[in-house]
Amino acid sequence: MKIYQNSNEPIYKQIASQLREEILFGKLKEGDCLPSIRGLAQDLKISVITTMKAYDELASEGLVTAVAGKGYYVNPQNNEMLKEQYLRELEKNLLAAIDSARIAGLGKDDVINIFSTLWNAE
Amino acid sequence: MLNNRQERITDMKNAIKLENVTKKYKDFTLGEINLEIPCGFSTALIGSNGSGKTTLLDVMCNICGKNSGKITYFDKYTDVDEPDVRNNIGYCAANNFFPLDWTSKKVAYVMELAFSNFKREKFISLCNKMKIDTPDKRKQKKIMKMSDGNKMRLYLAAILARDSKFLILDEPASALDPLMRDMLCDMFREYLAEKEDRTILFSTHNIADMEFVTDYAVFMAAGKVVEKGFVEELKEKYRLIHGSGETLKSLSQYLISYTANSTMFEGICLTEHSSVFQKLDAAIEIPTLQQLSVGILRKAEKDTTEEE
Repeated sequence: MKIYQNSNEPIYKQIASQLREEILFGKLKEGDCLPSIRGLAQDLKISVITTMKAYDELASEGLVTAVAGKGYYVNPQNNEMLKEQYLRELEKNLLAAIDSARIAGLGKDDVINIFSTLWNAE
Repeated sequence: MLNNRQERITDMKNAIKLENVTKKYKDFTLGEINLEIPCGFSTALIGSNGSGKTTLLDVMCNICGKNSGKITYFDKYTDVDEPDVRNNIGYCAANNFFPLDWTSKKVAYVMELAFSNFKREKFISLCNKMKIDTPDKRKQKKIMKMSDGNKMRLYLAAILARDSKFLILDEPASALDPLMRDMLCDMFREYLAEKEDRTILFSTHNIADMEFVTDYAVFMAAGKVVEKGFVEELKEKYRLIHGSGETLKSLSQYLISYTANSTMFEGICLTEHSSVFQKLDAAIEIPTLQQLSVGILRKAEKDTTEEE
């Protein structure tokens, strides 16, 4: 895990987004236990409350559940949700591509051509 | 957030709770203090010189008696001399904590007699880690011959070698060099990680060095607590604003405190007011604990001056 201490993004958000990614991409699986709050704080050299806030954020999104006295466990992840996530990501990137095309004065067909070439090259 | 976590980790809510506590000296009055130090976290006591931090810590440990009010330890005891309280509190004063002719060997010997939870092996490993005399070293240096930094290392080793629940440390970082401060922060986190019902309370002037080991912050000015809260919540409550000098004129009433010169100003405001600065060419940031401390203490200082 990497933490930027001088970034504009709060540290708890950086931790939450890295763990979120690990959960959505299946690196952390259903039933897996997240590292203990104090252990992670120790490893990352950050305060306990920051780690706790990151975990609370994941819990409020329904990605993990706090089990009293034990820790945080990864919930079963809905594949539809994951798909939805990718779809949104795709739309966002395509919109950015359209913006670039407009600036460069390219038409829809030009873009589709480029897209096809890239797709086939993959 | 607090309630949530207490349910998860431990039944204990507060390591210490103060209700209407006062301590009067000829020229200084502490309190009334109403304060709870949450169990399981590291709390920083922040304030200017003479704001009453040391007095507060001394009252907590009954180094000096309070004039009024009630103190509750570990949610149930009101007497600091209760064995369960005494044994579980590790207190360290800012200086001359042990007699000056003592050595590492003598410290280990006395601590072992005084506290059943003092672990000699732990003490030795901490001495090695912090590069000071171990109690079994042939040639022992007296405390009076040690540098301030090494004195503090010895005190910290003595305190951390006990299996306690609550550390109360007055300025533990001020005499330490940068590397040792970093190690101190690591040792704090390790102490908290080892057992979940452990708590640390420390005072400091170098909050920037301790930011990443501070969970809860208590700000003091003129003998009173002027602000307190979990750091992550305080960072949501306040915003740091900086911008050009002209911007300030129309909006200074929204700033809790600020400094300004002809070119720029910098101050803090409540997050709910930060949108008024958005319209102008001002930068709005989440404050660091250091910036927050400056903002809050500057406001407290201004208020005190106005009262006088």
